[in-house]
Amino acid sequence: MSAPGITEPTEAIARARAGDADAWGELYREYAPAIFRFCRRAMPTREDAEDATMEIFMKLKGKLNQYDPTRSFSAWLYKVAANHCWDILRRRRIRQDKETEDVESLPLEHPEPSQLEKLIEQRSSEEVRKALEKMGARARMALVMRYYSDMSYDEIANALGVRRAFVGVVLLRARHELRQALEGNVALAAGGAS
Amino acid sequence: MSDTGEQELRHLDEMTCLLYLERQLDRARGLEVSAHTQECETCRTLLRALERESRLLTRAMLEENEPLPSRLAQFQEKARRSMQWIWGLAFGLAATGAYALYTGYVQPWQQQLEQAGFGGSNLLNLLIFQSTFWKGWQSMITLLEILALATVGGLGVMFLRRRIRRGSALALVFAGLCAALMVPAPASAMEFRHEERLTIGKDEVIHSDLYAAGGRVRVEGTIEGDLVLAGGDVEVSGHVLGDLISTSGALRVTGHVDGSIRSYAGNLLLKGTVGRNVTVAGGDLNIDHDSKIGGSITSFAGHVSIDGSVGRDVLAMGGQVTITGNVKGSAKIRSGELIIDSSAQVGGPIDFKGDHEPQVSPGAKLASPVHFVKMRHGPDYSNVHYYTWQVIWLAAFILFGLVLFALMPRFAEEAVKSAERYGASAGLGVLVLFGVPIAACIACITVVGLFIGTSTLFVWYASLYFAQVIVGTVVGQWLMGRTSEFWPFVGRMAVGVVIVRLCTTIPHVGGWVKFVAILWGIGAMSLAIYRRFQPVLATGAPSAPAVQPLPPNTTIGGPLPA
Repeated sequence: MSAPGITEPTEAIARARAGDADAWGELYREYAPAIFRFCRRAMPTREDAEDATMEIFMKLKGKLNQYDPTRSFSAWLYKVAANHCWDILRRRRIRQDKETEDVESLPLEHPEPSQLEKLIEQRSSEEVRKALEKMGARARMALVMRYYSDMSYDEIANALGVRRAFVGVVLLRARHELRQALEGNVALAAGGAS
Repeated sequence: MSDTGEQELRHLDEMTCLLYLERQLDRARGLEVSAHTQECETCRTLLRALERESRLLTRAMLEENEPLPSRLAQFQEKARRSMQWIWGLAFGLAATGAYALYTGYVQPWQQQLEQAGFGGSNLLNLLIFQSTFWKGWQSMITLLEILALATVGGLGVMFLRRRIRRGSALALVFAGLCAALMVPAPASAMEFRHEERLTIGKDEVIHSDLYAAGGRVRVEGTIEGDLVLAGGDVEVSGHVLGDLISTSGALRVTGHVDGSIRSYAGNLLLKGTVGRNVTVAGGDLNIDHDSKIGGSITSFAGHVSIDGSVGRDVLAMGGQVTITGNVKGSAKIRSGELIIDSSAQVGGPIDFKGDHEPQVSPGAKLASPVHFVKMRHGPDYSNVHYYTWQVIWLAAFILFGLVLFALMPRFAEEAVKSAERYGASAGLGVLVLFGVPIAACIACITVVGLFIGTSTLFVWYASLYFAQVIVGTVVGQWLMGRTSEFWPFVGRMAVGVVIVRLCTTIPHVGGWVKFVAILWGIGAMSLAIYRRFQPVLATGAPSAPAVQPLPPNTTIGGPLPA
């Protein structure tokens, strides 16, 4: 997992770990746009995303010593960001999703494939982004972690505080919610029989 | 889970398709799905739709549709400036607090003590360690200096660790410690005597310091060094060339002491002469008509009666002070009652702070009228100084907490966690709050236990403050949520301490709030210490097997269908 389009500035990371303020500036300039985009997708409003980005970088100063330089910096950074955003959302108690127990009972049928394909083809990126904003916090968070920052199922499970076995269910449910938001087609979102 | 999907279904369910695409199925199930999709057009279409959906999601989220807001673009520089400002404020506040503390408390005391004949370089040294109570404090100050040095060194390493190599920092600290330890300690000869009825005869001369203990002690001879006494009933009618230090129940001095007398824990009756100062803590002090003191009197006794002659000043705090003799210097008295008889002579100003007006006989010869200030009990809410001091104390508490959290982060975290076990903390708090000082005082009775007892009392006293910091942190976490990171933890501590301190200033209730906070916090710390000493289970002990529904690294994604 790595930040899209970013090659890791290992030297700046090492200097920032040693307390070099300029290196911090470099890292901030390098990663702030990506982290802001992450927050923008994960948080309900633009202001929330800005606040969260600043808080993540403030937090990073204290956490940088915990970073293992043998691993990907951007992957680690996204993990910190995801944990922070989810902490904020959880604290606000705006989880609109059902809990794990409910998710477990989700029907595992597939929708009408051609109808789904048509829906996907017809929707633009802009529409998807708008639909994401309408979604529940956990569903949106799960999609952002998986399809924006490419986090593994284990990392998503840790961040969301669910068992790894349920990550797939959470993601599938999030996709259904997204389709609902895109189309408002309940039958499609809930999974119509083939 | 979905990978155990029903084989008899005609088509694959959506979950299985998603897990297959995401490479989360095990190898066998992945091959089954792959084989199925080779033949099933519907499922192949579903897989393709899901994959396109994934790509659409990624594309939508990755597109740079929004530039970085200017607020964020300028954030780094602002953060740097704001941090500088915060650090400046913190140090400014600390400096103001230290200055106010010095000018408000330390300096007036120092001046008073200097007027009372305690010349010296600093208050701590002259009041406790240099000449006031016990010469054994010299060893204590060496230890305290080393501890203080180690603390300062530790803080220095903490702040400089990013700038200098760890080895260099450690070398610096150890060099400092070695330098402190290499300071030569003064060597002195001493003699010990311990008998139930101990008498140093008239003709006997002790050429060194004498440490004497017994139920009944009589010193009629000459002691060329210091005389250190511990006993029930003690009389010194001989000649002591050094200081006389006593922890006796009753001490009578009818002889000559060239140095100073320091007595605590018992009554002192002085009929002889003292070359330098007299310091008393505890019991009553009676200066007889025939007695003569070359220096000053510093008394923290219950009743003080001065009938003899005092060469310099009197500084007295206690229940009742009666002056019928001659005081050549000034008198600073803080007590319930002050009586100045007609035979009294006081050569300097008299400052009296007490509950009642002083009773001054018209025949008394005073250099100036008594300056009386009525003592106020409890805080003066109408005085702005009260609030200033509250703010200063608050800043001091936060700084104290910050230093302790930096020095002992794990212990602080454990203590805060322990504080959430309310019952255990409160119970242990009662035990430690009252039990430890009693045990320490008992330990102080013996010579060997004196150091341990005194050190324990120091730690216990410091823990009264730390307890409030711990409770403040718990309150902060209630309000702002839990955290294990250092600065957010400190932030919660600061917020909580502000609230706790505010609650302790509420009239009538504040004292109880403080008591409960101390009880609770001290119990939490004790619980954390107790847990640390609990044995840890062996690593080989069997534990419940962990169940992994989908073990990592055992998954496989088959080839995507065409």
